[in-house]
Amino acid sequence: MSGVSDYVQNIKETVSTIFEGMAITASHFMRKPYTVQYPDRMAVRVQDTLPFRYRGILEVDLEICTGCLACERLCPIDCITIVADKDPVTKQLLLSQFDIDIAKCMYCGLCSEPCPTGSIHHTTEFEGADYSLESLIRRFVKDPVIAYKPKKGPETDQRIAPILNRGMAYLDQWAIPGSDAEAKAAADKAAAETAAPGEPS
Amino acid sequence: MSTLRTEEMTLNMGPQHPSTHGVLRFVVRADGEVMREAIPDVGYLHRSIEKIAEKVGYHGFMPYTDRVDYVCAMFTNQGWGSACERLGNIEVPKRGEYCRVIAAEFNRLASHLLSIGTMGMDIGAMTPFTHAIREREMINDLIEELCGARLTFNYMRIGGVAWDLPPGWREKSNAYLDHLEPILDEFNNLLSYNKIYVERLANIGIITAKEAIDYNLVGPNLRGCGVKWDIRKDIPYSVYPDFDFDVPVGNGHWGTLGDSMDRYMVRVFEMKESVKILRQALAKIPSGPVLAKVPRNFKPPAGECQIRVESARGDMGWYVVSDGTGYPWRVHVRTGSFAAMGIIQKLSQGLMIADLVTLIASLDVIAPEIDR
Repeated sequence: MSGVSDYVQNIKETVSTIFEGMAITASHFMRKPYTVQYPDRMAVRVQDTLPFRYRGILEVDLEICTGCLACERLCPIDCITIVADKDPVTKQLLLSQFDIDIAKCMYCGLCSEPCPTGSIHHTTEFEGADYSLESLIRRFVKDPVIAYKPKKGPETDQRIAPILNRGMAYLDQWAIPGSDAEAKAAADKAAAETAAPGEPS
Repeated sequence: MSTLRTEEMTLNMGPQHPSTHGVLRFVVRADGEVMREAIPDVGYLHRSIEKIAEKVGYHGFMPYTDRVDYVCAMFTNQGWGSACERLGNIEVPKRGEYCRVIAAEFNRLASHLLSIGTMGMDIGAMTPFTHAIREREMINDLIEELCGARLTFNYMRIGGVAWDLPPGWREKSNAYLDHLEPILDEFNNLLSYNKIYVERLANIGIITAKEAIDYNLVGPNLRGCGVKWDIRKDIPYSVYPDFDFDVPVGNGHWGTLGDSMDRYMVRVFEMKESVKILRQALAKIPSGPVLAKVPRNFKPPAGECQIRVESARGDMGWYVVSDGTGYPWRVHVRTGSFAAMGIIQKLSQGLMIADLVTLIASLDVIAPEIDR
């Protein structure tokens, strides 16, 4: 008889656990969907919703590039090619080539860490499909430019100042290894509270 | 009545088979549906990562370690970082160690979610997979905010971690853990306790404790056989002694001790332990720097060291030999998946072909980790 009762018990358990699972699945009709319709039916572009530290396709601000070659030396796969020569007449550093092969790049972020001005940085852009490998080489130098020289004190050139501010902000928040971001934010908050004690936070 | 004459058939499974979890190949000698044996053929995903280390130097090798096991890259990061620190006598700041543990335990959750989700899919249950992947995506969102990448993190550096926890991240993580715990119970009701699912896994691929030790199994595969061995408890590293957590082991509740179901349930229970560790770590984390001062041109003194970390797939060993230059002389990685592949030939004898798929899934084999 135990054979029959086992058989019935098994059927009972199977049916009940299947219905339990089905109930969970059915409950998901009532929940908010987690999926999104990429790319055409989104209210905001994905690129604009990504966090600040996101490591997307690399970009270089040539206006603030010092030509120090730190990024080229640190790249583990040599996807950055920089040609920077001293001009024999003016004795200034002249950038004549700055190529990043984003087909080779593995988005590790090691290059943007040693940059003194935040010139080379990751964007939140990730859609980089193209038809040929050559077109994936990003060439940043059109005509040879003079490398940027960091000045003592704030930057006075109206054209370069905003770019440099962006670069330094990038370094502050992201690329300087080991920066104590959480403690810094807490200190900023405390400073703001002591400055305006009466106001509700 | 004469018996039916049967003939042995040699089948080729993989390397592009969708159920083999990556580029794996099995030569299956089968008699009808029943296998005589399945011979694993590894090496399809070999990328000479150990040799690359000798060419790119200590700092430059960190992004490559992500590729050793891309499902739980935090542990490979941690293994390489710790090995270099042991060689160079560098002490990691306390907050850096906490950041490492938090990131690694989140990664363990993500890896186990993928493992138990694909387990259901290999049996034919599509829905649990989407549930598990949804939770994993949320963890990926958190890790993305922490280090900027979703899969190949490159979060750790020699001497600590690259970036501190962003402002507000701890609250988000705690909120996520509150959300995850009921989901795990729901997931158990959806998949783990389903009678059909249990019948497919219980009493399949039984490994005894002695066999598991003989075949060098590690991690959840070993603990599923009832052996309580966890590097985090038994050879403590990093700041794991600070936390209170249990090591779940298989108990044969659903069938025989050491079957596929035990290995699966060990992973489910381990996720709950990871949640426990994460809650304690997020509450206890001290303030301070996260990265020790390490020269850009890192040259450890000549010597060798062996580091063991408990990755999601078990004991991961990093053996590094330095000759005093800026490049390691030899690097070797010992991974859990490679050991797990060794036992498949023995376990597959007499199994059905459909059960081979669940056996591979229950061992949680990841192809890049086998070959490096």
